[in-house]
Amino acid sequence: MRFLDLRRLWALIPAIAIGAAAALLLAGVILALNNERAYRSQKINEITVQARIVAATATAAITFDDRTAAQEYVNSLSANPEIEAAAIFDENGRRYAAYSRKGDVSPLPHEAPPLGAEFGDDRVVVATPVLQNGARLGTVYVESTTEPLARRIERYGVVGLLVVMASLVMVVLAAAHRVMNRTNAELTQANKDLQTQITERQKAEDALGRAQRIEAVGQLTAGVAHDFNNLLTAVLGNLDMLAIRHDGDARSMRMIASAQRAGQRGAKLTGQLLAFARRQRLESRPVDLNRLIENMETMLRATLGGGVDIVTALSPNLPRALADPSQVELMIVNLAINARDALPDGGAIRVETGAAGFGPPSRPEEPPAGEYVIVSVSDTGTGIPPDVVDRVFEPFFTTKEVGKGSGLGLSQVVGVAQQLGGGVQLETRPGEGTTVRVCLPLAPHSAAMDVETEAVREGAPSPVGGAALLLVDDDAEVRAVTAAMLREAGHAVFEVSDGAGALEIVRREGGKIDLLVSDFAMPGMNGVELARKARALLPGLPVLFITGFAETAALSGYARPEETLRKPFLSRDLVERVALLLTPDEAGATTPQ
Amino acid sequence: MVVLIRLLRARSAGARRMLAAALALTVPLAPLSADAQAGPVEYAVKATYIYKFAPFVEWPSAAFPSTSAPLSICVMRAGELLGVLERAVSGQKLGDRPIVVRSVDRLEADRACHILYVGSLDGETRAETLAGARGAPTLTITDGATDPAAKGIINFVIDKNRVRFEIDDFSAAENGLVISSKLLRLAVSVRPRA
Repeated sequence: MRFLDLRRLWALIPAIAIGAAAALLLAGVILALNNERAYRSQKINEITVQARIVAATATAAITFDDRTAAQEYVNSLSANPEIEAAAIFDENGRRYAAYSRKGDVSPLPHEAPPLGAEFGDDRVVVATPVLQNGARLGTVYVESTTEPLARRIERYGVVGLLVVMASLVMVVLAAAHRVMNRTNAELTQANKDLQTQITERQKAEDALGRAQRIEAVGQLTAGVAHDFNNLLTAVLGNLDMLAIRHDGDARSMRMIASAQRAGQRGAKLTGQLLAFARRQRLESRPVDLNRLIENMETMLRATLGGGVDIVTALSPNLPRALADPSQVELMIVNLAINARDALPDGGAIRVETGAAGFGPPSRPEEPPAGEYVIVSVSDTGTGIPPDVVDRVFEPFFTTKEVGKGSGLGLSQVVGVAQQLGGGVQLETRPGEGTTVRVCLPLAPHSAAMDVETEAVREGAPSPVGGAALLLVDDDAEVRAVTAAMLREAGHAVFEVSDGAGALEIVRREGGKIDLLVSDFAMPGMNGVELARKARALLPGLPVLFITGFAETAALSGYARPEETLRKPFLSRDLVERVALLLTPDEAGATTPQ
Repeated sequence: MVVLIRLLRARSAGARRMLAAALALTVPLAPLSADAQAGPVEYAVKATYIYKFAPFVEWPSAAFPSTSAPLSICVMRAGELLGVLERAVSGQKLGDRPIVVRSVDRLEADRACHILYVGSLDGETRAETLAGARGAPTLTITDGATDPAAKGIINFVIDKNRVRFEIDDFSAAENGLVISSKLLRLAVSVRPRA
């Protein structure tokens, strides 16, 4: 408050200065007038005193008619250089003695002038009575020069000039003060801007730090998931084989099924880990999200239980998104589960679709600027507390009880959305609810491929046995179970642990090899390099890549979707895919050289 | 001149006073002829001077019984001057003091004379008379005396056809009188006090 007042006072300073200058000028004028009056009165006094002295001394001279003495008295006034002329008049007003500095007394009055003082431009004239015992004996007249008016005005002018200069100095000071104030304001603004920039930079650094942390966790996760996938491939593959070969003991079958379910859950988990690490092998194609949601509604209701209701609001004429439909389904399930958990007392979950444009992102999980197809999942639940909002996308972060959530749901959502080229926008109000919008890129109009084509293709091949297969995998367990599955289907299998060994067999056995089944990630030579070299030796050789995770850039640039199989896989899937690739029409027509 | 004299003789007191005053200032302007020893103008001037000396002289306070006691001008053998003086003084005051003019033949111990004009006495008698006034608070005035012993404190002389005076400040001091410096300045000669 005091500061505010002070600041207002500072702002008034120029006005005060100008006012003060005007006041000073006025004071100067008054001073000059006063000076002038004082000067006149002082001058009159001075000359009157002189005249009175003459009048007092001249009494005897007048009384006793001593003209000589009277003349001496007036002459004595010549000692004062300012006195120009003087005269003594007798009782009858006749001039009795006169003195003039110029010598000529004739211009002096011949008759006694009226008593009093008169101030002219450059002279003072004083007439005083000569008194003795109250009786008037005559008149003394004294005429004195004064400082000429012009000179006096000049003198006052100098004072005035000083005043004006003082005023100018004040005005200049005021102006300087004003400039200083403005500079001060600019500095304050600059400081504020700087503070803002520092804050923003801090935010950006925090975000970067978080992103780096997530990236590091992602790499770790990806490595673990890869190894886990191989283990699960071996476990599930062997369980699969065991189930096929089993004699039918019901108890054992239950145990095998239980082990298989556990293995499947492990596979799902590694899938999510890979999704978060953005190492998921994504099979993007144009997807009609409205249809996808309609198809999964029943499944969602079953998953979420009876406590919550699902409301869908699907935008008509929705453009297609370029996405992996199975991953999108998983995203929606994850978001729906989170929404349900935010509604402990039940309620509705709203799943919407739409399209919208976005500006530059303000948070790391948000999509780059552009147009997107959007799936949003909203609840009217508890909302996310502000201290938690920044962390919800971090992997393994969960507010749920131990064992209830993996902490990977939202990580999967963001990981997949970003890997697809989109992002996620989170809107939450504590106590009001949360909306998560998944933004997916638009599919190019030319892309005509649809979910059905895949389905048709998958249903086409029938198992074919008796082919010679070359199996390459650096993991002995995975290789063993894969070989077992293939042999079970009636194929002859060459097993090799690396690319060099595989090429040797290709050279040795030549045209005997019908299909190459290769792991992608191997030490020394990866699956794609091996495939290239093998095809150089055996042009048109069909290849099936089995892969733990998405070395997508290398792989998808080379292999067609049907040429890859993700670990862990079931025996049936492997056999069907091999059969598909062995069908000459399918394989030969599209194999790139 | 004739007009002035006639006017001086006029019956009206006011007119006389006015004339006397006018004479005091205007008449002396007319130069006096060297031989006009006892001319009427000269009398008029001298008569006026006699009472006009009063403001320039300070008597000891003991010389007056009260502050309003009259100032006595004693005239001895003044001839025509007496009449002129009486007329000039008539109604005049020195401050609160009325001015009275007495004609005396000799000094009287019980009647004080503040101003004593000694007229045409022979030198010896005059000197005696003056000696008689010595030590008393009396301003003695003589006319045209040349013998120092016969000169009063103020002695009229004719200087350049004008009535002027000599002042014996020494004797004034002896009589307890203080004469104003203004008056002293106008004197043709001053015998300074001791």
